[in-house]
Parts: sequence; structure tokens; C-alpha cells
Amino acid sequence: MEYVTSLLSLALIASAIRVTMPILLAALGAVYSERGGVINIGLEGIMIMGTFFGAVGDYVFARQYPALVAAIPDLAPAAGVLAAMLAGMAFALIHALVTITFRVDQIISGVALNLLAVGLARFLNILFFGVATQSPGVSGFTPVDIPILEGIPVLGPIATGISPMILVALLLVLIGHWTLLRTRFGLRLRGVGEHPRAADTLGINVYGMRYAGVLISGALAGMAGAYLAIEQAHLYFEGMTQGRGFIALAAMIFGNWWPLGALGASALFGYFDALSLRVVVLPVPSQFINVLPHIVSILVLAGFVRRAQPPAADGVPYTKEEE
Amino acid sequence: MKWRLLVLQIATPILAIVFGVVIASIIVLAIGRNPLDVFGVLLRFGLLRADSLLSILFKATPLIFAGLAVALSFRAALWNIGVEGQYYIGAFCAAYVGFGIKGLPVAVHLPLAVLAAGLGGMLWALVPILLKLRRGAHEVITTIMMNYIAAAVILYLIADVFRDPSQIGTPRVRTPEFPGSARVPSMGPLLGLLGLTGPDANKVNWLLIFGLVLCVLFTVLLSRTRFGYEVRAVAFNPQAAEAAGIPNARIQFLMFMLSGGVAGLAGLSDVLGFFGYLDIDFPKGLGFLGISIALLAKNNPLGVVLAALLFGFLDRGALGVQFFARVPKEVIVILQALIILAIVVAYELVTRYIRMQRKREAERPATAPAAAAEAGH
Repeated sequence: MEYVTSLLSLALIASAIRVTMPILLAALGAVYSERGGVINIGLEGIMIMGTFFGAVGDYVFARQYPALVAAIPDLAPAAGVLAAMLAGMAFALIHALVTITFRVDQIISGVALNLLAVGLARFLNILFFGVATQSPGVSGFTPVDIPILEGIPVLGPIATGISPMILVALLLVLIGHWTLLRTRFGLRLRGVGEHPRAADTLGINVYGMRYAGVLISGALAGMAGAYLAIEQAHLYFEGMTQGRGFIALAAMIFGNWWPLGALGASALFGYFDALSLRVVVLPVPSQFINVLPHIVSILVLAGFVRRAQPPAADGVPYTKEEE
Repeated sequence: MKWRLLVLQIATPILAIVFGVVIASIIVLAIGRNPLDVFGVLLRFGLLRADSLLSILFKATPLIFAGLAVALSFRAALWNIGVEGQYYIGAFCAAYVGFGIKGLPVAVHLPLAVLAAGLGGMLWALVPILLKLRRGAHEVITTIMMNYIAAAVILYLIADVFRDPSQIGTPRVRTPEFPGSARVPSMGPLLGLLGLTGPDANKVNWLLIFGLVLCVLFTVLLSRTRFGYEVRAVAFNPQAAEAAGIPNARIQFLMFMLSGGVAGLAGLSDVLGFFGYLDIDFPKGLGFLGISIALLAKNNPLGVVLAALLFGFLDRGALGVQFFARVPKEVIVILQALIILAIVVAYELVTRYIRMQRKREAERPATAPAAAAEAGH
């Protein structure tokens, strides 16, 4: 009975919110990519690049500009996030080039990117830090309190001392939802993912829109990696993404290819992820608690939870010329 | 014309390797080293030493199984990204038969262990394929998730349930050792007759030959039998195949099971052939290398052998690069990934080029039969 109450504790929920963020950001990225019609299995690899470059950007900036960072400590982690997003976009650009321009199978390209990321992160880590698997410690953002909620005593653990990146991520979800639903860019992106031929006939640049979707997904997955390294672990280490890029894909599918849906689904995965982090006394071996999010992913994909409808042209390369 | 296309198809993988080498050279240059040195060492160390050649054979053995497993699924238009998890489970099943049963003759014990590994791989492949065929869950993500679950299961079984009691208190977390009857014999004695001796010769075991035989058998199965024809039909055009009375679901299920079964064998060379116990740090990542190998081989079982040897060579050469050229051996991992990206782009471009050529030939006006006939030869 004891563990049942601990399953709903505020501390656990606060932890769940924290660990939801990397999954959420990557899932949001996946929404942009797949709404444009490109499956991005390489999300995991992009996230790995994000963790590494997040730590590097943070570390190098703090080393190069100690005076500046002493005055405004948040600059170093901000530099890390920026570096991670740029690295993520660079990696996503490879995926875009290979799948959109060369029309190679999107899954193959993604798998190759994941392999490349593992090797590249090890190689670069040796160059930067002399060892293959770990960076030195890096500083995170100054935690913030949410103005109104912090006054409510019960909500203390949730509303105080939280990462500003959490607020940014939630804001990005709202912006993303509105963008896809209401803006010209969002409608075009969806058009390209649903019926590229029709979109092309209407004068929409199919390749350009798809590139945009993939690049945004790269930036967001890079940011997701940066969050893991900078805000959660305060360093980069090999294998720290733990398949969250893949879980994010499941979250996106469960969220029915919409940002707000992805938020709900990511929260579900985040909750199970938090269970594995907190020392909650459960009558199950710890190894199995660790893979709860992965088990849930399978159940979600099998439609035991809900059926979903992907964009019609998702995963189908588009070619302008008739064949 | 036919000749040109054949040359083109053979040249494609070579061009892709060259592209990978060029990009890797740029990376080596960027860190201030001479790429000629690095690739010189790679070739000299990797190819011109007897112990390296034996090491390549040892490293290629598990890669043949992993690559063949992935290729079999790709052949049926299925994505088995779960070879990684399938061989974890296979390796454990073989280990369990290995240390759990005593007093059997080798002629019974060893085949039983190998069979258990295959069944373990199939068991782990069963979940994703059933979920795909019954519930429409895309196998790419489910197989990836099964990999993580397999890692957790193995960790639990080795560390918490079947840990060798005599090792408790030491940092070694592994199962009890297997008796000799469950070990794959070394090819060392045979290689010794050829004048190849030393520790690397003893590492090479008979699973290498078993892997080669499997590749030949699957070549025959896929290109010379009715089943192979049905597999091609399903992969090429599922609707047409179904209309022709070929049951898509059954063919895909069988191919995925074969893929999982072969995947289950990938860990055996290390576990039954080399260590003789299943350690918590047994070699990982073979499943992902298998994907690269299948892509490089264009899913051809015999090509898998060549690609596995290439990756074995790169892996061995990486040691030399690290030791003699003082460049991190990860540069070779990057090279492998680049080759894969280059190869898939190159295959795609060649396929498109060939299609275009065929179309052009077909559209040639009938008033010029001589020219068309000439182009056809």
C-alpha cells in the first residue's frame, strides 16, 4: 500500500515534469518533420549530438568568457543550447539531403545517422576532453519560480526552482500547435505531408517545406539533447539519451501528430521515466522499471491505447518529374 | 549497354567506399594528421599481418549472422532493427542450455545450445511481427524498443538470477562456465596445418563455416525455390502478390522468424566459441552493424559475407590506426557510417539511372531498329 501513495507524490510529479521535457522537445520536432512527410528515425542520433554539443557549448563558453559568465551565469548554458540546436540542424540537414534530394529510404537514412552520431560523439569527445565517453561538469540555468503558483504551498515542488527550459518547451508546444493549425507555414507543411502532388500544383515548394520541417525537427531534438546534458545531468556522457529519441517518435504517434497530443503522450512517458529515476519501492526488479517507457511505447504503437492517423504521404519520397 | 550497367553495379559499392574514405580523410586532416598515414596503417596493419587476417575472420563471424539476419528481413520488405535484442536473448538461451545441462555428449549438447539460441531469437522477433501483422504497429520502433527490453532482461537474468555463485564478491558478473560439450570447437588445429598458429588462430571457430553454409543455403532458398519467388513477389508488389494467391502475411511472418532465428545465433561465436560463459559485458552492437552490412550487401547473402569481412577488417585496422597512427579508432566507426550513407545514395542514383536508360530505350522510335538493337547489346 505504501508504494501506491508514493506513486502519486508531488515530488514524483515534479520529477516527471522534468524528465518529460527531452521526450517532449524531440516529439515536437518529430511532429514538424512528419507533418511535412519525412519520417525521422535519426532523432535519437540528433539528440546524441545535442547532448554532446550542449555540454561542449556550455563548457567552452564558460572557459572562453569567464568574466562575462561571472556577470551573467545563464550565458554559458544558453550558448550550450544554441550549439546543440545548430548541431542538431546540421545533422538533420544530412537527413534532409539524403531523403528529400536523393530520395533514399527515410528509415535507412535515419538508422545510418544514428550510427554516425555514436561514432562522431565518441570521436569528438576524445578531441575535446581526452576521453571517449564523458565531458567535464557544466553549469545549468538559474532555476526560476512560477509567479502565481509558487504562492500555493502544496504546489511548492512543482512551481519553484524549475528550469526555464521547461517553460520554453511548453511555450514551444503552444506555438507549434498554433503554427500547424493556423499559420500559412503550418498549413503548407501539412499540405506537403498529406498530398505533395496537389501542394506542388498549387505552387508550394514541396522540397523547401520538407527541408524546413526536417531542420526544425533537428533544432528541437538538439535542444532536447541539450536539456538532458545541461539541465538534467550537468554533463555529457555516452548513452545518456537511452533511446529517448525513439520514445519521442512513439509519443508523437500517440499524440496523433499534433503538438498538444505529443505533450500529453510525452507526459505519460515522462511519468514512467520518473518512476525509474525515483527510488520508489516497487515489487518489480529495477531493470524492468527502467524499461517501462519502452514497454509502454510498444503498447501505444500496437494501438492498445488508441488508434492514430498519420499524414497520408508520411515516409513517401516526393519526386517532381513523372516517372 | 548490359555490360555498362553491370560494371556500374559493381562499381557502386566501391565508389561509396571511396566517398567514405574521402570524407574520413577530411576529418583526419581537420585534426592535423595525414590521412595517407592513417589509411596506410589501416591497410598495412589490417591486411599484411597473419594475425590480423585471423582476427578479421574471428570478427567477421558474428557479423555474418547479424548481417544475414537483417538482410532476410529486408528481403521481405520488413525492418528488423531488433537483431540487437534478438541476439542478446539468443545468447542467453544458448548460455542457459550450456551451463544448465551437464553430462551430454558434444554431439547433442552443442546443437541443442545452438538451437536454443535460434529459438530465443525467434521468440524475441515474434512480438514485433505479430504486432505488425495483427495490429499494424510499425516494426521499426517496436523492434528498437524490444532491444532495450532485451538488455534489461539479460541484465536481470545474469546479475540477479543466474550469476555464477563462485564469482560473487568479485567485480565479474557472469553466468557459470559451460562444460566443454557446449563449446564450439576452434579451427586452430586446422589452421595450424596451413601454418597459421597463435592466439588469433585459436579464436577462429567453426561457426564461421556454419555462417558461410547458412549464407549459401539462403542464397539457394531465395533465388532457386518457389518460396524465394514468393518472397520476391511480396516485396516487389504486395497487392499483386496477394491477388496472385501468395499470402503476404504468411510470407512476411516466415521471413521475420527466419531473420530472428539467424539473429539469435549472432552472439554464439563469442559466447560458445570464445568466452565459454555469458558475461554482463559481452560484445554488444552487433545488431546495428548487421544493418550496415545488409545495406552494403544489398541484402544478398553472399554479399553479406564480403561486407562482414570488410567490417571485420575495418574493426581490426582501427586498432592499428589507434596504436600506430595515434588517431582515435572511432574515426573508423565514422567511416563505416559514412560508407552506409554513401552507399544508399549511390544505389538510389544508379537505380534511377538504369530506370531512365530503360525508359529511353523503350521510347526509341521504331523506325530505327538497328540503333535500338545495337543499344540492346
